[in-house]
Amino acid sequence: MKNRHLLTVAAALCASTLGLAACGGDSGEAAADGPVSLDYTWWGSQDRADRMTKAIAAFEASHPDIDINPNFTDFEGYWQKRATEAAGGGLPDVMQFDLSYLRQYAERGALLDIGELGDAVDTSTIEESLLPSGQIDGATYGVPISTNAFGHFYNPAILEQAGVAAPTGDMTWDEYDAWIREVTEKSPEGVFGSGDYTGTFWLFDTYLRQQGKQAVTEDGEIGFTKAELKEWWESTADLREDGALISAERTTQLDPKSPFGAGEAASEFSWDNFLAGYLTDTGAEKLEIVAPPTDTGDHGLFLKASMLYAIGANTEHPEAAAEFVDFMVNDPEVGAIFGTSRGIPASETQREGATFEGADAQIVAYEESIADELGESPAPLPIGFGTLESNFKRLASDINYGRYTVDEAVDQWFAEAESALQQ
Amino acid sequence: MSTLQTGQPRGILSAPASPDYRRARRAETRTGYAFLAPWLLGFFVLTAGPMLASLYLAFTDYNLFRAPEWIGLDNFRQLFDDPRYLQSVKVTLVYVLVGTPIKLAAALAVALLLNNALRGQGFYRSAFYAPSLIGASVSIAIVWKAMFSDGGVVDLGLTGLGFPSEGWVGDPSKTMPMMILLATWQFGAPMVIFLAGLKQVPRELYEAAAVDGAGSLRRFWSITVPMLSPVIFFNLLLETINAFQVFASAYIISGGQGGPAGSTLFYTLYLYIRGFSDFRMGYASAMAWALALVIGLITLVMFRTSNAWVHYSGESK
Repeated sequence: MKNRHLLTVAAALCASTLGLAACGGDSGEAAADGPVSLDYTWWGSQDRADRMTKAIAAFEASHPDIDINPNFTDFEGYWQKRATEAAGGGLPDVMQFDLSYLRQYAERGALLDIGELGDAVDTSTIEESLLPSGQIDGATYGVPISTNAFGHFYNPAILEQAGVAAPTGDMTWDEYDAWIREVTEKSPEGVFGSGDYTGTFWLFDTYLRQQGKQAVTEDGEIGFTKAELKEWWESTADLREDGALISAERTTQLDPKSPFGAGEAASEFSWDNFLAGYLTDTGAEKLEIVAPPTDTGDHGLFLKASMLYAIGANTEHPEAAAEFVDFMVNDPEVGAIFGTSRGIPASETQREGATFEGADAQIVAYEESIADELGESPAPLPIGFGTLESNFKRLASDINYGRYTVDEAVDQWFAEAESALQQ
Repeated sequence: MSTLQTGQPRGILSAPASPDYRRARRAETRTGYAFLAPWLLGFFVLTAGPMLASLYLAFTDYNLFRAPEWIGLDNFRQLFDDPRYLQSVKVTLVYVLVGTPIKLAAALAVALLLNNALRGQGFYRSAFYAPSLIGASVSIAIVWKAMFSDGGVVDLGLTGLGFPSEGWVGDPSKTMPMMILLATWQFGAPMVIFLAGLKQVPRELYEAAAVDGAGSLRRFWSITVPMLSPVIFFNLLLETINAFQVFASAYIISGGQGGPAGSTLFYTLYLYIRGFSDFRMGYASAMAWALALVIGLITLVMFRTSNAWVHYSGESK
């Protein structure tokens, strides 16, 4: 009898856990009567989380019927988590998205076409040339939050110490290379003109755009030849050999800071919204941005949607999600909370809501200075782009370590790129 | 059913025929399975199921987003054309072949020291075991990285001794020694097992050998090593299998990329990069099964060759 009793208890336990699971499944629909709850997730630092908390509080205050359930991680972990969720069909309602992942999720049907919701998200406030960044085949899967542009950062304090003039936006690439050499020579031991800039995929893209090409074409094909990549990686060979560039060893040591962020390189190329981070990393009072060097007079610059909002196709509350996205993209108060920490706000109403000071004002001024020559904003990047970019960086570093010759690295990059883009 | 009806009263021998007994047995079996259920459930749902799924995925092209597509042995064929895969095999083999013997030697040496009766023995045992308790944690890998960085403790120490180093973290030729040191430092688990084994070696053997004039080195090779060989075998097997699967420390020290210059691209780390960064789950599954096969094979070979050198004292010679 005792045994039977035990079995009954076990069965009851099983039944009750099943019941719990069922309850869990129901809760979403049951909530339709009470306040609607939205899962919202982003990647970013603690600083962004603090600002986000303020923005969410502002939203909840004006929308008492919607409850936001926030969650955030770092960039790498963010995509690993989203990929598993997408495979299981459980993406959050609202997500911060990146240009390089939008296509992968949208083409799988994991994202909602926000255009279907009518005007729930007001995109009339956003520069028209920027909207294609969130669109695939006419459907809108992402709403741009903010923009950034590529730029050439330099550290005036290092230049002053070396007694070298500041770089300018109309330098040629050869002039820039000579400039790097001069800074390294005239600086104290351990300070360099630059790192090996040829490892930055977006800079290579910029260089190609200066010649009217693109690293990845609109059809998702590779837009350059092996010879062009070889020439690019070989362009700094002399500087590498002569020790004019900061070494790969040192660069690895400094990680997660970049050589420029660590104050050991006088210049670096990156997206202009990195300014705030660079200022924190270097502790410098002032850092400057100019347009990258060019041989053609065209700088190859464009505005990129630095982040977008997307809504999961599986959301039970598309209207509420749209309301939230609209608020986060357009509300002036949210604009004031974030400043340029995510790039320059894409929405006009947010730009007007914010007053830009210090570093923020500097970025706005930089983007204004290049406004006349901006090219088209890129459409969502092809699936596998992230792999192309990380392989580019890795192989360039391997060249610096002497592990591969330029030819070997070029062959490897192309071999991997083919399989990455096939997916 | 008993075959012989001898008219004896029911006893142990005829018990299986008793319906009461059988019912009781069945009930007991059921209860047994009920108690096993949580474990069985866990095993089938969380281990066996995913393993079978990954076996299937190993023969497919699967990027997490589209349905898996059957491609037969393609993944396995690609492995051997993939320079990064070959690099990861090389790195892992060096780690296993060099790291494991060093770690075991360290464990045995410390166990021998601690086997001597000395004051505060309990304290030393705990102290030497402590790193293994915390060794696999994320924080230790971070501390390790900081220690071996330029300007870190190790760098300053070496520079002070007249061996200037620029830090080990950025130098591809020094990251492997660093990883092996980290593994060796966590010798606690094999050390405790060695210590237990040493306690089992009969003292008489040493005494008899000493009477015959054997020195301490001679006693070590002729008594300790053979008597300890089953324990050595056990530790070698366990540590080899573990070493093949090193992941957390490599992931953290190399920033998840296996750098610098691929010098810490361990097998499991590359598997992870392939699966979760490049979204090539089919390929990653193939890698996982290739590793499982190789580990299985190595275990088999070790067992087969163990007869030649492992001495079980219970055996009649």
